[in-house]
Amino acid sequence: MPRATSDAKLLIQSLSNAYAATPTNLKIIDLYVICAVATALIQVAYMGLVGSFPFNSFLSGVLSCIGTAVLAVCLRIQVNKDNKEFKDLPPERAFADFVLCNLVLHLVIMNFLG
Amino acid sequence: MATPRHLLLLLALALAPLLAVAAAEGAAEEGPRGRRLLVLLDDLAVRSSHSAFFGSLQARGFDLDFRLADDPKLSLHRYGQYLYDGLVLFAPSTPRFGGSVDQNAVLEFIDAGHDMILAADSSASDLIRGIATECGVDFDEDPEAMVVDHINYAVTDVDGDHTLIAGDDLIQSDVILGSKKIEAPVLFRGIGHAVNPSNNLVLKVLSASPSAYSANPKTKLASPPSLTGSAISLVSVMQARNNARVLVSGSLDLFSNRFLKSGVQKAGSKKRYERAGNEQFVTETSKWVFHERGHLKAVNVKHHKVGETNEPGMYRINDDLEYSVEIYEWSGTSWKPYVADDVQLQFFMMSPYVLKTMSTDKKGLYSISFKVPDVYGVFQFKVEYQRLGYTGLSFTKQIPVRPYRHNEYERFITSAYPYYTASFSSMGAFFIFSFVYLYHK
Repeated sequence: MPRATSDAKLLIQSLSNAYAATPTNLKIIDLYVICAVATALIQVAYMGLVGSFPFNSFLSGVLSCIGTAVLAVCLRIQVNKDNKEFKDLPPERAFADFVLCNLVLHLVIMNFLG
Repeated sequence: MATPRHLLLLLALALAPLLAVAAAEGAAEEGPRGRRLLVLLDDLAVRSSHSAFFGSLQARGFDLDFRLADDPKLSLHRYGQYLYDGLVLFAPSTPRFGGSVDQNAVLEFIDAGHDMILAADSSASDLIRGIATECGVDFDEDPEAMVVDHINYAVTDVDGDHTLIAGDDLIQSDVILGSKKIEAPVLFRGIGHAVNPSNNLVLKVLSASPSAYSANPKTKLASPPSLTGSAISLVSVMQARNNARVLVSGSLDLFSNRFLKSGVQKAGSKKRYERAGNEQFVTETSKWVFHERGHLKAVNVKHHKVGETNEPGMYRINDDLEYSVEIYEWSGTSWKPYVADDVQLQFFMMSPYVLKTMSTDKKGLYSISFKVPDVYGVFQFKVEYQRLGYTGLSFTKQIPVRPYRHNEYERFITSAYPYYTASFSSMGAFFIFSFVYLYHK
């Protein structure tokens, strides 16, 4: 299927070209989100291996990663210049919200970790 | 005016409880039942014709009060206190009792936890039949009927109408009939009864043989008899839920000196016994009825955590605990350790979460240790012990079970280290990210 492979190649190429135009701060956020989701996946795999015994620890471990990923995505939406919905919101304010939410999240995680 | 004599009387009244306590301490162990029996007869001749049975009761320490059943001063209780601890009703033909006693009074007497021996014969009155029916035993309704058995009758000098039965179909229970086997057949002449099938407290102690039937022996059988075969019970016992015991016999002669002393030979059998089994039978069953045997008591119910001795007010889930109880049986003279291997304990909340057979040290102490289930709530230690012939034991003790306290959980579990690492690494990643995000060019 040479045609399908070349199509996929073209698709990825156009995607990466488009992504190259993304501002650096959004790229940093993307990297952070990928790291967080990867950590969460590793933990789910580990739980499948050893069982769900300290279930609260498992939940807090996974949820801390998922939570930071979700918060980072929210931050990305708010600081994106192309996003017209939040054009009145200064990026400093968005980052402050992000920090506050992270503090609350990790406070809960530490309490739940056991 | 208080004379010196009045003062003396007052002093005696004041000291009476103290003296009573002192006397009780000096006396032998206290049994489960008192020893005052009321014997109701419809003819005082029965007192001499059944003297051997009464003699055996008196020899065992019972205090017998013989009264005619229609005695106008008859009363079972006075000022709310029962005057007697047991009743021997040897008045089959009495149409109504004298004094304040009637069928309800007798039934209330049993409901209050007292025991009764009731003997009827072919002249049984409606009153006696009514009392028996209330105890789960239905006498044959035909007033002329007797139990007839043309195969398992007792051989007599004259070939009679085969109403003298030689019964040997006894219940298999050491506790009701004593540990010594009754070898000789039991002589019986009287009316048969059926045990009410909906009443599971009644037991047939002496059943008729399969060839028996209940009919008028003097006339020809016009229709099939209503009671036949081993469905006929000759002697039955009932132990009520309050442990009151009642024995119902269709034959008053069963207890008579004549039957107790006579020899017996069963038809078709070569073997002749010098003595019928009646004496042993009536002695052993009366011992059972008047709680000289088969009465259990449980004392010293204890429970504690393994390795401790104090009884806690509450357990935690997954605690290891030990439970023990002492069970004794009244032997007629003293409380003897009860030995069995089937006493079970339930740890109960709506349904038994733990049901285990307790181990015994053969000296009456039953104990068990187990782990509290992983469920919290209000539990009960529950022992329900119902065995044929024994009084029922049923006692519970309530105990709450709590979950772990917040600081009782395990910490730093090895298998959870990846989760800890992940949590802290996501915190660290947050700091690094913030730094990079704020200061990148």
